[in-house]
Amino acid sequence: MIRFENVTKVYEQNARPALDSVSLEINRGEFTFLVGASGSGKSTFLRLILKEDKASSGSVYVAGQNVANISSWRVPKLRRGIGVVFQDFRLLPQKNVFANVAFAMQVIGKSRSIIRETVPEVLKTVGLEGKEKRMPHELSGGEQQRVAIARAVVNRPGILLADEPTGNLDPITSMGIMGVLDKINQNGTTVVMATHDDDIVNEMRRRVVELKNGKVIRDEAKALYTSMIPVVGESRRLKDASGEELNRAQGAQL
Amino acid sequence: MRLLFILGEIGSGLRRNLSMVISVVLVTFVSLTFVGAAGMLQMQINQMKGYWYDKVQVAVFLCNDGSTAVGCASGPATKEQQDNLQAMLESPAVKQYINDFQFESQAEAYKHFKEQFSNSPIVDSVSQDQLPASFRINMKNPEKYQIISETFSSQPGVETVSDQRQVLERIFSWMNGASVAAMGVAAVMIFCAVLLITTTIRLSAFSRRRETGIMRLVGASKTVIQLPFILEGVIAAVVGALLASVTLWLMAHFWLNGDLSRQFLNTPFISSTQVLVIAPVLIALGGGLAGISSLLTLRRYLKV
Repeated sequence: MIRFENVTKVYEQNARPALDSVSLEINRGEFTFLVGASGSGKSTFLRLILKEDKASSGSVYVAGQNVANISSWRVPKLRRGIGVVFQDFRLLPQKNVFANVAFAMQVIGKSRSIIRETVPEVLKTVGLEGKEKRMPHELSGGEQQRVAIARAVVNRPGILLADEPTGNLDPITSMGIMGVLDKINQNGTTVVMATHDDDIVNEMRRRVVELKNGKVIRDEAKALYTSMIPVVGESRRLKDASGEELNRAQGAQL
Repeated sequence: MRLLFILGEIGSGLRRNLSMVISVVLVTFVSLTFVGAAGMLQMQINQMKGYWYDKVQVAVFLCNDGSTAVGCASGPATKEQQDNLQAMLESPAVKQYINDFQFESQAEAYKHFKEQFSNSPIVDSVSQDQLPASFRINMKNPEKYQIISETFSSQPGVETVSDQRQVLERIFSWMNGASVAAMGVAAVMIFCAVLLITTTIRLSAFSRRRETGIMRLVGASKTVIQLPFILEGVIAAVVGALLASVTLWLMAHFWLNGDLSRQFLNTPFISSTQVLVIAPVLIALGGGLAGISSLLTLRRYLKV
């Protein structure tokens, strides 16, 4: 679904690259955590998928398409296939819950009848039944984030990108949000979530990709927030290196 | 659906930026009124040229009692001199340039004078003797005036040769000057209008950056995102252009065709319907300028 091939992103010449020859594949229907300190390249990773930025070198494939080959007038089509959720919710304060979700459908020209049919369905999925008429400021943080998730998935994207969606929420509310994201993932949506929240990662036990200084230093299935493999440098070589080195690394561990 | 949505966005944009939108309307209104006034002046000049150029004549004035010109040293023009001039006008050398000519005697000149200034006290102080007799010549081509002037001005008994067209030319060049001045003012005002539209669109884009950000993320097309802003500018400018058109029409209807045409009975003024030709030009100009300046602004200040 998402494939990075030797992707490097340099924002400023001479500065350390935000992403440094990252190669990674995320399959359809997978749930992936992107962890790492601030400035490790998580946001850049997400921005490259959305074609908000252009890779300095290497290729980014989304749904089998090299995003570099997507012309600017077709970028909206790419983005319709990707839902995005942020830490700060980004709801429209003067629109109620229904209108906030409907907005995402209106702007891509969905008919009124389809909107009226779909929005309540999606609000039910995220657990906001009966709150259609509320204004954003009348909702708790967790509820606001649910509205944002509903808006992100209302057009049924194949991919959902979440940039620290629980960053502003308390642990219990966060678990609720994770439940929603998990449900969306169960319905077949590929979810990529950048996070600092170790409790959540440890609880969910999904694939974890750890970035450090723009490099992938760990990529484990059903993993914890912190590595269980003691030698971090070795594990990176596991991912990047040729078969011979891989064998040697495995041998060293045994 | 999408149309309704875009219209709604335009409405909310116009409401939010009301004071800026009003200033855009007013500035385009004033600038386009000047553009239109310049256009009207040009139309008026053409109208008057067409009307007068058929009628204007070259007049060869004969000497009378009070003449001081060199050719009049021997006193008022004699019958002999007059016949001599008439013969010259009928000679083939001159005839090729003129359509026809009439002789206006002092008595006739006095009659015309009295008609023309019937309301003025000057009539009482002028006697028939003070007015010169003249040959009134209709030229085939008014531009060839110089030939007639050279031929006749040195003849005995001729006081002066005057081209009425030159008098008109002076009026026309004055009107031309006025229309150039109006265009100058219009250019400055249009420049202001463009800057103002640019600022307005920038503010509008800034105040709605949340919406446009979300629109971008959920994959709204460039058109859906930008069109409300562009139309906002265009609508404001078109309203300004409409106001300018109405103002010009009112000017033509009540001033040119009302007061002025009553004062200057034999001057042909452009009709208010002719002014309506200018209106579409103003609307296209206003709308086009606003559209282009909004588009260029958005390219810089609204990432899509």
